[in-house]
Amino acid sequence: MPCCYRTTADRWICAPFRCRSLRAAACLISILALGASAASIVRDGDGFRVNGWTPAIQPADWSAILTIHVGSLEAPPLLGSYAVTGDGLTFHPRFAITPGVRVFAKFAPPSGSPMVEEFANLRETHAPSTSVARVLPSADLLPSNQLKLYLEFSAPMSRGEASKRVHLYGEGGEEVDLPFVEIEQELWDPEQKRLTMLFDPGRIKRGVLPLAELGGALVEGELYELRIDRGWPDAEGRPLVEEHRKRFQAGPADRTAVDPASWKITAPTPGTREPVLVAFGEPLDAAVLVRCLEIRGDGQPLAGSGSAQDAETQWRFEPEEPWAAGSYQLAVCGTLEDLAGNKIGKLFDVDTFQPVTVSIATGSVSIPFRIGGQ
Amino acid sequence: MRFLHFVSIALIPAGLLFAADGGSKAGKAVLKSAGPLAFGPNGVLFIGDSAAASILAVETGDTTAHAASPVEVKGVNEKIAAMLGTTPDQIMIQDVAVNPVSKNVYLSVARGKGPDAAAMILRTDAAGKITEFPLDNVKHSMVVMPSAPDAEAKDRRGQSLRQEAITDLAFVDGRVFVAGLSNEEFSSSLRAIPYPFTAASKPAGIEIYHGAHGRFETNAPVRTFVPYTIGSESNILAAYTCTPLVRIPVSELKAGNKVKGTTIAELGNRNRPLDMIVYNKGGKDFILMANSSRGVMKLPAANLDKYEAITAPTEKQGVPYETIESLKGVQQLDKLDDTHALLLSDNSGSLDLRSIPLP
Repeated sequence: MPCCYRTTADRWICAPFRCRSLRAAACLISILALGASAASIVRDGDGFRVNGWTPAIQPADWSAILTIHVGSLEAPPLLGSYAVTGDGLTFHPRFAITPGVRVFAKFAPPSGSPMVEEFANLRETHAPSTSVARVLPSADLLPSNQLKLYLEFSAPMSRGEASKRVHLYGEGGEEVDLPFVEIEQELWDPEQKRLTMLFDPGRIKRGVLPLAELGGALVEGELYELRIDRGWPDAEGRPLVEEHRKRFQAGPADRTAVDPASWKITAPTPGTREPVLVAFGEPLDAAVLVRCLEIRGDGQPLAGSGSAQDAETQWRFEPEEPWAAGSYQLAVCGTLEDLAGNKIGKLFDVDTFQPVTVSIATGSVSIPFRIGGQ
Repeated sequence: MRFLHFVSIALIPAGLLFAADGGSKAGKAVLKSAGPLAFGPNGVLFIGDSAAASILAVETGDTTAHAASPVEVKGVNEKIAAMLGTTPDQIMIQDVAVNPVSKNVYLSVARGKGPDAAAMILRTDAAGKITEFPLDNVKHSMVVMPSAPDAEAKDRRGQSLRQEAITDLAFVDGRVFVAGLSNEEFSSSLRAIPYPFTAASKPAGIEIYHGAHGRFETNAPVRTFVPYTIGSESNILAAYTCTPLVRIPVSELKAGNKVKGTTIAELGNRNRPLDMIVYNKGGKDFILMANSSRGVMKLPAANLDKYEAITAPTEKQGVPYETIESLKGVQQLDKLDDTHALLLSDNSGSLDLRSIPLP
């Protein structure tokens, strides 16, 4: 019988001899060798294509025939999928290959010599364009029990870098040892444009061992400089435009609860769209602040825009519609914090032994105020 | 005076905080990010997805029992990078978990470090071969973690920057416990979710307080924890962000209850607990803790219920511990079997996955 296999509806490949049952394996090998004789490997979009070779039969494992390797030929093969179209075999990588890594294609047909091709995969270089937009709190006097810093960037950043890219130095140029708690997951916003750095709570909270052993990360009266390395890659792998520095001084520890009753509300003139101004008398946490306050009229939130100003010591709300004279409420959520993590009516670390001398309601509060006369 | 921690539990209406799909269904499971891993019953793998604020429960079907084989995959990050077409510095291995039945090792991996990084689950077999565990067509279910009520209000204005990092999870007595840390307010957010996930689940948000020496009380986030049974009582051994290691009885984590937990170790400065396991050797229980700077620490776990709690600020009392000097750079730990642990350790940037006899 002739030794032939049908590859498509109208295409057969035949070996140059007749096939007996005992020679079936040799028959197949010969056919595959025939098919491989004029093969070449080319890039096909993000994929890799072997031209001039069509498998006579579907192999059980395509990865025994064509594999792509990055870095070196010994590296495990790239994940991806295979497709046979026309007279070629195509491999589609699961992910686009990172520019700059070496790329090899290894084609090993069942018969014949294996073939290896290396493909150019040049790294594109782009000038740095991402920078530190600001560091919050924006004040340059922070309590020595400061709890958080927010680093805001102009574009998305890379994870996994914070612990080696953010440094705190004392006035004499010495680096402060372990001021921040390292959190391997890192506390980013969804766009990875804002990172929350937590000063080590074990060096803030009274009564735990790190504070007793090392003392606080910040010492009252001392000057500090926060430095954010230029080498921190953004999400595209490019370094920052420049190093960022923020100088500040540590002031007295803040061990007073947030007390909305002490805030000063400046009411606008009826019929205008002047802002309501709320002065706190101390800076509050910038991130929690902007989501924690709202103006309500008749119990419903008013449409408008609120923002922090004056180093987060004041909140400004501009309504979409002109003010009507009447009664309003400033609604404040219970998660509001000051710079040291103190909440409304509750300290960051409550001293349960201390006698209560002033009682402030905890949790959400609502402060009434009027616009216009009685 | 006993060193007390107060745990109060708020029962939250299910429909308000959790969206459950009513049980497992076959299909494509979508991960926005792949973080902490934990195995539950019958080969169910729980995956913490911080970016999607959800817990995914995948029925792996990997339920054939095998004896553990020695594991040694050197440069596992380099191998994974090659498989995913990138460089090792663009690979983040977020967690490793051993399937307690099959002994296969599962890894949660991010390809890339930006907000668009791809999330995936990989698996190594007894021979150390790494393959993708495909999520294209698996039986799975999911719960969405609750947002802070204030964050929801802000979402309506389209400005929310708040996100919670899921730092650990474990399956204990029919519930998945999830520890998280907000990128805004400083507070505890341990949550308990009954499994199987259904719309009728009654999730509880657990507010945890840490009372240092019975005096200074904070709302203390838990970073990592491990279930541990003392006698017939299930407990959680938890490491706080402010370093103490505490014991919290699971049975008392009920709605409306106020639970007194106990500090069992003050680990002190430079201690960043990364991962913990509990094991038995020679008839005695031990805790093995991977630690940022002290390497791996071994603590006896016997009689934790009777241990004298720490009562003074500067004394290193409580459960004594020893440091395993030979183990450096350990980032992740899991139990491989009753006599071996699995480690993911950093060797000058090259991550090695290997098993060791339990110390």
